[in-house]
Amino acid sequence: MINRPYLKRSLTIWLILSPLLIAILFPFIVMFLTSIKPRSEVFSYPPKWFPSTVRWQNFVDMWQAVGFGPALWNSLLVSVGTTILVLVVSVPAAYALARFKFRAKTLFRQFLLGTQMLSPIVLVLGLFHLAVAIGMVDNKYALILFYAAFNITFAVWMLQSYFNAIPVELEEAAFIDGCSRWNAVLCVFIPLALPALVVTSVFTFINSWNEFVVALTLLRSEENFTLPLKIFSLVGGRYSVEWEQVMAAVLLATLPVAVVFTWLQKYLMRGMMMGAIK
Amino acid sequence: MRLIRPYLLILPAFLLAFLVIAIPFADIARTATHEVSRFGILIRFNGADNLLKVFRDPLFQSSLLRTLWWTLFVVAGTNLVSLPVAILLNQKFYGRAIARAIVMLPWSVSLTMMAVVWRWTFNAEYGMLNSVLERFGIISAPVAWLAQSELAFPIEIIVGILVSIPFTTTIYMGGLSSLPEEIYEAARLEGASILRQFFYLTLPLIRPFVNIAIVLNVIYVFSSFPIIWVLTEGGPADGTQILVTYLYKLAFRLGRIGDAAAVSLIMLAILLVFTIIYLRTQEKEQGA
Repeated sequence: MINRPYLKRSLTIWLILSPLLIAILFPFIVMFLTSIKPRSEVFSYPPKWFPSTVRWQNFVDMWQAVGFGPALWNSLLVSVGTTILVLVVSVPAAYALARFKFRAKTLFRQFLLGTQMLSPIVLVLGLFHLAVAIGMVDNKYALILFYAAFNITFAVWMLQSYFNAIPVELEEAAFIDGCSRWNAVLCVFIPLALPALVVTSVFTFINSWNEFVVALTLLRSEENFTLPLKIFSLVGGRYSVEWEQVMAAVLLATLPVAVVFTWLQKYLMRGMMMGAIK
Repeated sequence: MRLIRPYLLILPAFLLAFLVIAIPFADIARTATHEVSRFGILIRFNGADNLLKVFRDPLFQSSLLRTLWWTLFVVAGTNLVSLPVAILLNQKFYGRAIARAIVMLPWSVSLTMMAVVWRWTFNAEYGMLNSVLERFGIISAPVAWLAQSELAFPIEIIVGILVSIPFTTTIYMGGLSSLPEEIYEAARLEGASILRQFFYLTLPLIRPFVNIAIVLNVIYVFSSFPIIWVLTEGGPADGTQILVTYLYKLAFRLGRIGDAAAVSLIMLAILLVFTIIYLRTQEKEQGA
């Protein structure tokens, strides 16, 4: 049986939320509908919402015309590379913060907090000079280094908050059973910490996938462009823009990440709350 | 070994973050105090000349002022929307998971791509926004939204608010779920209305989270670049220029490297003040 007051309450809440939900969904609907329109209908005045025929061919055309494949590959390479590098340096650091008492602990935390306040754009000139100095301008691997540095704080925070929740007794038990510390960590701790690693990886991956300023500054040749830069280059400073292709590209670049994010949202939010607030 | 083990563990993270952030930082400080050629070669030390020159630049002054408006409006708008939204999303209702997913959706999408889509949506001739507004009789002729800064800047603020809502709502939802349910039951028994409950219970209790949300938002919005760069590149006629876009233009369009470094330095100083405020707020919360 339907609970009537509950139904009424639900409808009221949806009604209050609806202006915001519409504003959020509006660009996504525009994106989708434009990406399946024949070109003649994209540029017809007055604009129509729905296409007369659904033209999936736009995606195929776009893939070839804008060189989507290489940009996708670059984005994957950079994001996976960043995620691995961040995990490699952040897991030990977070473990140290969660398990050891040491003098510089507070100092290290404050250092992390300080770096968190700096977004790459404020340092962009210095980052560019650094890339010049190490000969890595227009080199996509430089992005891995830079992105990783700016993602460490968040990763350490998030990992540490999860690590704190893993009872230290489990490792100690393994200890007593004759495991070395290293083995205890490997066999007992890491499997328990797996969800934390997944959440942190997804977050870092998305951040790198979406980054714009550093890519815009460092990358010069089109074959090195990551997706955000590629898509921006299709729009910025152009006289005519093939909007149906641009929207198809945005859709392909956005959808997989949005799906994974939505799927893992609960865990991401929990980590966020524990990490950022406490 | 026991003593240095934690240091060995934090060393890689520390080194990577320190080198990638400290070297550029030092570079900016050095560049800002030197006369620099167009090609980035330091010519001679000139102290605070760049800083003084930048301060006198009318475009710097207008960008600084606009950055303050930008930060103020985006942060205020975001928080005014996010708190009620978080309260609603914390209630139990049909389809709550879907509503939450939609509100969080912009978080996963790059600001750059989001702005590209908005740029198309606001297109004067073929954009869907004009089409919708005309259909409902709100406007009678197409509006060139991004061609005049008086319209473009408020639009950028609205887009800024929309993309900042997920993060802020998350903070508030975390805060709300930590509030004890019993006090609300007591308030209901005493006959307190929903509004009274909000102003006399929820708001004071959630106060620490409001502080944190505002300070973090200020820091992020203050240095947010893609929305304005993609929608208008600071134009038309520098009418939507904020400090970050002005900085980027100085450095990579106009080749005024020394001035750009000076602007960076000023922004870093402002961010430092924000950070200190943030640390103070957190300390106070932890102390209480």
